[in-house]
Amino acid sequence: MRESIRRVGTLTARNFKEIVRDPISLCFLIGLPLLMEILFYFLFHKMTAQFEMKYLAPGIVVFSQAFLTLFAGLLISVDRVSAFLVRLYVSKARSSEFIFGYALALLPVMAAQALLFFLVGGLFDPSLFSLRLIPAVLLSFVTSLFFIALGILVGSLCGERAVGGVSSIAISGQSLLSGMWFPINDMGGGILLLMNCLPFRNATLLVQNALNGAQDLWADLLRPLLIVLAYTVAAFVAAILVFRSRMKAK
Amino acid sequence: MAAIVIDQLRKEYRDTVAVDNLSLTIEEGELFSLLGVNGAGKTTTVKMLATLVRPTSGDAAIYGHSITRNADDIKGLVDISTQETAVARKLTVEENIRFYAGLSGQTAVQTRETLDYLYNAFELDQVKNKAAGKLSGGWQRKLSIALALVTRPKVLFLDEPTLGLDVLARRELWNTIRSLKGRMTIILTTHYMEEAEALSDRIGIMKAGKLLFAGTKEELFAATGKADVENAFIEVVTGGADHA
Repeated sequence: MRESIRRVGTLTARNFKEIVRDPISLCFLIGLPLLMEILFYFLFHKMTAQFEMKYLAPGIVVFSQAFLTLFAGLLISVDRVSAFLVRLYVSKARSSEFIFGYALALLPVMAAQALLFFLVGGLFDPSLFSLRLIPAVLLSFVTSLFFIALGILVGSLCGERAVGGVSSIAISGQSLLSGMWFPINDMGGGILLLMNCLPFRNATLLVQNALNGAQDLWADLLRPLLIVLAYTVAAFVAAILVFRSRMKAK
Repeated sequence: MAAIVIDQLRKEYRDTVAVDNLSLTIEEGELFSLLGVNGAGKTTTVKMLATLVRPTSGDAAIYGHSITRNADDIKGLVDISTQETAVARKLTVEENIRFYAGLSGQTAVQTRETLDYLYNAFELDQVKNKAAGKLSGGWQRKLSIALALVTRPKVLFLDEPTLGLDVLARRELWNTIRSLKGRMTIILTTHYMEEAEALSDRIGIMKAGKLLFAGTKEELFAATGKADVENAFIEVVTGGADHA
């Protein structure tokens, strides 16, 4: 057990360095969402409540997590294609240790995203700095696990070139189906039902409601949390199975 | 003492037989080269022995541990340098070595010893703070082979270690490989006849998954009536005679 934890720590440290030393990944994980947060606030917050910072900041936190899917996927696929992982398979590390190593490496990135975007949001709207910020940050940790698991799954399934395209489904899903960029109250039942069934809108609602206070504990917090958790568990199980099958590919 | 005993090892991929009932014994400390044209089964053989690929039938024992039944016991005994350069590209040379040392459970003192040994053996200290991805092809290949030695394996698999290198880088790597001889058992696959001739204690020649010949250079020359490995190799793979 001790050896296993040590190996996970070693893998995590390596993966973290690979991500943060890539300026393009930092640009998309931190720079682009930060720019969008500031820009959309200034342009639209007086026109529609959608872009008030109390909704925009948690929305941006979850939106930025969609890029974790892309960069987790890219890291794994490059490792697979370059024979880096093949060599590591000769070591004593197990597939679950590899998965933990990839997932844990992204958590500090996620923490930096959440703290930065909430902090910047708070500079424009100081009401964000309340005790409700704590559950909002904690629940954004939960939502990030879904995107990380999805990234590990995509990276295990796809080659380097395909990862970008497939991961853009998660980014597009978070953009179009989260309801953060446009009002959805007047939308038809079909699309709304789809949005409520998929994890994207639920992830955004979860963090927004945690920050702004829940009126209905079940509808505002528990239901979206359960839906996001269900997708997260499914994505992790699929990721472990696919990664293990790739590891044992004959 | 036998380091590797291969018994009727076979690998099939759908309708292709990659390795066809290979039997061979390799002694401890020996450098054994596997020669063959593309698709001869060299890499598949090495990958089976390194427990990366499961055989369809047959078995092999590495220091008495079966690759089919005790694969976990073999991890730690063997390491591999794959055909493709396998390094963490954004980590420095030193960080790459420390990463592999950490993964194999080495203490801080052991890691320091490993660094000193590899810096000395591969002259890596002059590039230790450079990102691996920014090194030249020759240095990357050197680092890739050095990383296979971090775990101090008893058996080292070198799968086409000099593929794509220029003649100077290749000769330099030969010297490094020569320095390892006798300290561990080495299985080397290569397309280069002169490489096998310069480095090997024994040579195996594979074609279409079959081992056609295994023996010393002298035995190869005697069996084929040729005076160099290249012509002897051509004689074996085109003559159809089974010299094993």
